[in-house]
Amino acid sequence: MSRDTGDSLPGNGANAHGPDSDADRGFLDRLFPTGFRTLFRREVLRFVRRPRNTFLPPAITNVLYFSVFGVILGGRIDQIAGFSYIVFILPGLIVLGAISNSFENASFSIFHGRWNEYIHEILTSPLPYTSMVLAYILSSALRGVLVGIIIGIVGLGFTSVSVAQPVYLVAFMLVICLLFAGFGVIGGLWARDFDYLTVMNQFIVRPLTFFGGVFYSLDILPPLYRTLSLLNPMVYMVNGVRYGFLGYSDVDPNASLVVLSGLTLAVVLVDIALFKRGYGLVD
Amino acid sequence: MSPAIRARDLVKDYDDVRALDGLDLTVESGEFFGLLGPNGAGKTTFINVLVGLVHSTGGDVSVFGHDVEREYQQARDAIGLAPQEFNVDRFFPIKEVLEHKAGYHGIPHDEASRRAEEALKTVGIYEKRDTRFDWLSGGMKRRFVLARALVSNPDLLILDEPTAGVDVELRRDLWDLITDLNDDGTTILLTTHYIEEAERLCDRVAIMDEGRKVEVASPDELMNRGTDRVTIGFRNPPTSAPSLDIPDVRDSELTDGRLVVTAARGTAIIPDVLRELESQGYEVSDLDIKRASLEEVFVDMTRKESAIEV
Repeated sequence: MSRDTGDSLPGNGANAHGPDSDADRGFLDRLFPTGFRTLFRREVLRFVRRPRNTFLPPAITNVLYFSVFGVILGGRIDQIAGFSYIVFILPGLIVLGAISNSFENASFSIFHGRWNEYIHEILTSPLPYTSMVLAYILSSALRGVLVGIIIGIVGLGFTSVSVAQPVYLVAFMLVICLLFAGFGVIGGLWARDFDYLTVMNQFIVRPLTFFGGVFYSLDILPPLYRTLSLLNPMVYMVNGVRYGFLGYSDVDPNASLVVLSGLTLAVVLVDIALFKRGYGLVD
Repeated sequence: MSPAIRARDLVKDYDDVRALDGLDLTVESGEFFGLLGPNGAGKTTFINVLVGLVHSTGGDVSVFGHDVEREYQQARDAIGLAPQEFNVDRFFPIKEVLEHKAGYHGIPHDEASRRAEEALKTVGIYEKRDTRFDWLSGGMKRRFVLARALVSNPDLLILDEPTAGVDVELRRDLWDLITDLNDDGTTILLTTHYIEEAERLCDRVAIMDEGRKVEVASPDELMNRGTDRVTIGFRNPPTSAPSLDIPDVRDSELTDGRLVVTAARGTAIIPDVLRELESQGYEVSDLDIKRASLEEVFVDMTRKESAIEV
């Protein structure tokens, strides 16, 4: 029996032994223990081996978005803040794809595991709850980032793309993917049926994103709707990534990054608490 | 060394249903321990409390001295579980599923891969290593969940109905395998509906009913508490049942000229019975003893014969 699941564990019984003791383990092994790495790897392999279900759909969807909204309709729309319409909407489409996939990955993986009960393989293992949650969140966020990159590459086929603020772009992409992966964990624990997953993605995430300034600038809205839009967290995400690409944002990017980072941390802590409590997982 | 399992006053309530009702149970390290009980007795709930799939409502339970909730990592690291239901990851070939399970227990990838192959060979499905679980036959699925329980080299192996629905040959194979594991020091906790399985394999068995432990003893001890049947033939059959004034005899009746005597310990009363019959002038020609089975004792203790699936 090995003892590298997350914390150093003492031997238990007569057969206790371990191939990798603390002394043999390097810094990275201690930071990312075998148990965590195994679950992270399992989660990544799950979506990497099914590109037709995970990467191809957002690529095709965004070819359609760029074709219809960017080229066909966008050619008739005036520039926004000095940018052509297709360039203006590109960051928003990346956000839409990235957060949808981050959310969907975590929620589907957890719910499917619960539905078929194979999540018991993880729950009955000596993995710390924190490792379980972080493995789900990081792998789902990785899928979101990869989908964002794919959408960016698709966008390159329609227009030139430049990055004005690379640090902000990376920071916002990481934070929003982690945040929605964290929400996905909650969704996966809360769902009682596959319909719940559809409801969450189609009726909550997607509308908020569409009204979050993906296809327009807040400046074109009447004052009341502009103020209401500021209550929508998607506004800060879309504008954060837009600031990374274009150096333009309807809202202060620094304040957005701080608030979103704090929100992400809070959601991750809620996820860990739910796992510890066994919400949706144990009787 | 701490007991493999120690449960004290363990309670689990589901709304208004009490699944475990103050269960006290100790399984010593190295034991082959059986849990018997009718459906709904609380066996699977108890197992799920041990592995963390059910939170108890009250009481304490520890595995090798580690509380299953406060020290859940240590407790779960010691346990290999082969559940009754097939809760297996369907996304990956079975060898990878085993590698993942070993990895969750902190076993590095190369070692996990070696152990996965070893476990598949042990249960005889190595040639199916690249197959996904859904494509295995029923018997292979049962073998696989055992392999998954073994891949972390557990000190405590929990088998929940491991031979339910498998053919005779596979059942014997599984019996041999888990007997060897027990001989090598692994503690086994077995739940089963097959009384013969418990009689044959277990050092001790606990009979549970309605969330409580009814009795704990070795199969032999339990059978000694059952009612044996001694059937006696005569050269000069009596016309009515001879009266037997022997304390341990519970009943005697004449059937087709043969005397059927029921008693708590049939072998112990035979000399007294023969002496008594001889004193009454009867000449015994033959004698047959049928010991109480564990199943009869089990039914007697739980009084729910209809719930048993044998």
